[in-house]
Amino acid sequence: MSEALAPEAHPEAAYPPKIQVRDLDFFYGGRHALKGINLDVPAHRTTAIIGPSGCGKSTLLRTLNRIFDLYPGQRATGQVMFEGRNLLSPEIMVTELRREIGMVFQKPTPFPLSIRDNVAFALRHFERLSRGELADRIEAALRQAALWDEVKDKLGASALGLSGGQQQRLSLARTLAVRPQVILLDEPTSALDPISTLKIEELLNNLVRDFTVVIVTHNLQQAARCSHQTVFMYEGELVEAGPTETLFTLPTQRRTADYISGRFG
Amino acid sequence: MSLLLLRRRLFDALVIALSLFATAFTLFWLAWILWTTISQGASALKPSLFTEMTPAPGAPGGLANALFGSVMVVAIGVILATPIGVLAAIYLAEYKRGTRVAGFIGFVNDILLSAPSIVIGLFIYELFVLPFGHFSGYAGGIALAMIMLPIVVRSSAVALELVPSETREAALALGLPRWKVTWSVIVRAARPGIITGLLLGVARISGETAPLLFTALNNQYWSANPATPLANIPVVIFQYAMSPYDDWHALAWAGAFLVMLFVLGLGLATRLIFRQGGGR
Repeated sequence: MSEALAPEAHPEAAYPPKIQVRDLDFFYGGRHALKGINLDVPAHRTTAIIGPSGCGKSTLLRTLNRIFDLYPGQRATGQVMFEGRNLLSPEIMVTELRREIGMVFQKPTPFPLSIRDNVAFALRHFERLSRGELADRIEAALRQAALWDEVKDKLGASALGLSGGQQQRLSLARTLAVRPQVILLDEPTSALDPISTLKIEELLNNLVRDFTVVIVTHNLQQAARCSHQTVFMYEGELVEAGPTETLFTLPTQRRTADYISGRFG
Repeated sequence: MSLLLLRRRLFDALVIALSLFATAFTLFWLAWILWTTISQGASALKPSLFTEMTPAPGAPGGLANALFGSVMVVAIGVILATPIGVLAAIYLAEYKRGTRVAGFIGFVNDILLSAPSIVIGLFIYELFVLPFGHFSGYAGGIALAMIMLPIVVRSSAVALELVPSETREAALALGLPRWKVTWSVIVRAARPGIITGLLLGVARISGETAPLLFTALNNQYWSANPATPLANIPVVIFQYAMSPYDDWHALAWAGAFLVMLFVLGLGLATRLIFRQGGGR
């Protein structure tokens, strides 16, 4: 664990909560998938959510940008406070919300467009930019996602021709380009090879300067390497949340200790 | 033990031989049909086929008016069926997927898909020929659109459903509105499949005869006005093949050959588009 990531080095007050989850319940039809979740996501920090398969960690993430709205049988109750408003309330415009809270998925999701248009697509929708400004923003986003050098000579080529790791960084660049406040990452490296994984992890450490990051991961080392706060979930409940170093070295809950020592999951 | 092995080998050989025979059997008829249309139509297969009108018996002539008429009625059919079919597919696959409404509409669509084309011809005759008092190319095009529509709906809906849900979620997660995601990402991703369905639909309607008999009918002369009866290849084939004249028979065979060739070309185009779509 690097020095810079040690949570003790930063007073809590420097990172006020960006998102506050209160008494959140989630249902897939009749199945109760999240039970009374309470959680603060500090601004400009990386929060990792860990836990065994089916514990609800992806569900929690998918609640934060209301992407579950797409599926009629799924619903959430409780509060998710963001900028003084409850995200779950029906008055929230999900398009505006999702612009502020971006998401990168487990599988790379290139659109069937050129590399340039993958990044420009949402930008053009939200902002009136001149050609020059647009080109600058695209370059900035691709640089931020450490993809620029690999694609700068073929921006017009189809994004579907990129490797899996490149496609995932393109998905990230696309999300960064619209400048959200929060970035949600749902197991972003689980479909990638070790080298691509390393690249993405290196990026994550730089992102907190500009964004608040929440990452769901299966990989405990990844959580330990890349996050400031870690949340352990089990069977739809939030078991324990705390500074990453503390949670991995001195867990207060028996189930957390069992999980991180590899006794189940 | 070795007896069992021998039996399995024999059975294996038998299955391979049977499937090979079945394949050859199918191809044999296709080749024979093609050969027959070429050899029987040989005397009519010359440039005048494309430049001269359908003749009176014994006079020289070609199929120019019928070819042009066919292109026109098929074009009317495609222009009507494509937007309606694709939009209906978007509604079914994107907005109502997995619901009872979609299931019911899909079921009704499948019934229309297998409705006998002569029924559709009669129906359009009632609606668009009787009230106007004359046959017309428009009525023919509408009848063909009715036949093509369910093909477009079904194949486009399948193509849209094959787009991974992650792609849809990723586009929506950027904060883009649903219509934009659907139109610019989902439909584009499904485009090879949608175009394939359109080509298959065109192939299907370009040989349809029954619905045109009741609608576009035929026209011995050149007409570029779809409000009039239009000559078209299938009906010309039907009438000329039933006639007692040898030169009309040759023209019918030549027309049949052109239709076969056209459908074959569409089939090849479909394969090419699909290969490109899959290989990207």
